[in-house]
Formats: sequence, C-alpha cells, structure tokens
Amino acid sequence: MTDVDGTLKAAMTTIEGAIGAALVDYNSGMALGILDGAGGLDLNVAAAGNTDVVRAKMRTMDMLGLKDGIEDILITLSTQYHMIRPLGGRTGKGLFLYLALDRGRANLAMARHQLTKIEADLEI
Amino acid sequence: MRRALKQRAGRRQLIALETDLLAELRALRHRVPHLAGGLVASVDGLLIAHDTHGTEPTGLAALTAAALGLAQRLADNTGQGDFRESLVRGEHGYVATYAAGSACVLTVLAHPDVNVGRLHLEARRSAERIGVLLEDSLGPKEVG
Repeated sequence: MTDVDGTLKAAMTTIEGAIGAALVDYNSGMALGILDGAGGLDLNVAAAGNTDVVRAKMRTMDMLGLKDGIEDILITLSTQYHMIRPLGGRTGKGLFLYLALDRGRANLAMARHQLTKIEADLEI
Repeated sequence: MRRALKQRAGRRQLIALETDLLAELRALRHRVPHLAGGLVASVDGLLIAHDTHGTEPTGLAALTAAALGLAQRLADNTGQGDFRESLVRGEHGYVATYAAGSACVLTVLAHPDVNVGRLHLEARRSAERIGVLLEDSLGPKEVG
C-alpha cells in the first residue's frame, strides 16, 4: 500500500515519459497532491480544468442513461498524452489520477497498465 | 468653477470605475460555473460595486469587513503575513474573499457544486485586476 506522495512518485518514476502527475478531488477541483516533472505544466490549473472534463463526461453518461463507470479518459495532444483515471474503491471515491506524458517517449499501453497497478496500490 | 469641474470629472471617473468593476464581476461569473454573485468592497466594509442577486450586498460588504478583520489578525498572529484569501463552506455553498490591492476585497458567493480549484484560479486573477483598476483610478491612498 502506498500513500499519495508515494503513488505520484511511483507514477513519475516507473511510467516512461511521465512529465507531471496529480491526485485530484473532482468535487472541489483541488489537488490532493501534485508532482511536477519536466513538463512545466501548472498542475493546479490542470487539476481544476480536468475536473470540468470528468464532471462533463459523468453528466453526459448520466444523460445517456448509462449506468457505468469511467475507467479512464485519454486526451491526445500533438506532443503529449494526458490520462485521467477516476479512482474506484471505497477510499478513492470522488478522486482521479491525472498523468501527463511526453508522446515521443511514452508507450500508451504500458502507461495504462502501470497506472492501473499504481492505482490498486494507493491507500488514502 | 475649477473645483466644480474637478468634482464632475471625479464623479465621471467613479462611474467609469464602477462600470469596469461590474464588467470584471460579470466576466468572473461567466468564467466560473455555479457562481451566485460577487461584490467589491473596501476593507472597512463600504460597498464599491456588486453583481449579487438575492443577497443584500451592503450587509454582505459589512460582514466581509468583519470577517476580514478576524482573518487578518489570525494571519498576522500566526506569522502568515498579509491577508490573501479566505473560504467559508456552508451547507448550501461557499463564500470566498480575496484581497484586491491593499485596501479592497473581492467577495464571491458560490453554489456547492462549484469547482473550487477553478474558483481560486479565476478569482485570484480577477482580484488582481480589480486591485489594479482601483489603484489606477483612486490612487493607493484614497481607496477605502
């Protein structure tokens, strides 16, 4: 079991191409933890902005009558991948992991697989 | 005669200032979903501009000043420096106050669904712009 800081550190060190990671509460839009890599991203801004992304998707699913959960959301930029992973489990409710990756160095399938593992280890 | 002209110019300037402040308050409400309204007040509780609906703005401005006094003392006594912002969460929403320059504050009301991260982000920028507007048109000594 890993805490918030350990989880973010694990995401940044074990996932190839990671340039920023955050654990965000999407009820408030505030980050519980951020870890800046070489990306130069303002992760507090990313936390607030991506909260709107998660909320919009949840609202859309609700409107479509889909009784399902979001496993992850992938946003592909021309030079980066941004991954959003809402947490399951009892303690993770209302939170999501946010990970920014350098598209040139990252392996998307590997990154998703590792993020799943990292999420499973997280204890809040 | 000259004094009368000066006073009139001063009044025009104040009206222009209020228009600018209202534009800033409306822009903030536009940028942050679930905002209920906002106001600009001096630190001693005088209302300068407001865009609130269903809340009595002069009372809120006065209350803000009272809360600000306490927040300032709290920050001072614990060595945290000047007041920057305060956030109160109630059962039915939030009241947030941000320092706008040295003599004024921006207070906003928000529904419970608001994205607080985004509220902070946008309101801090707004407060900064409001501080500049106030100091530009009134001068730092005359504000409040």
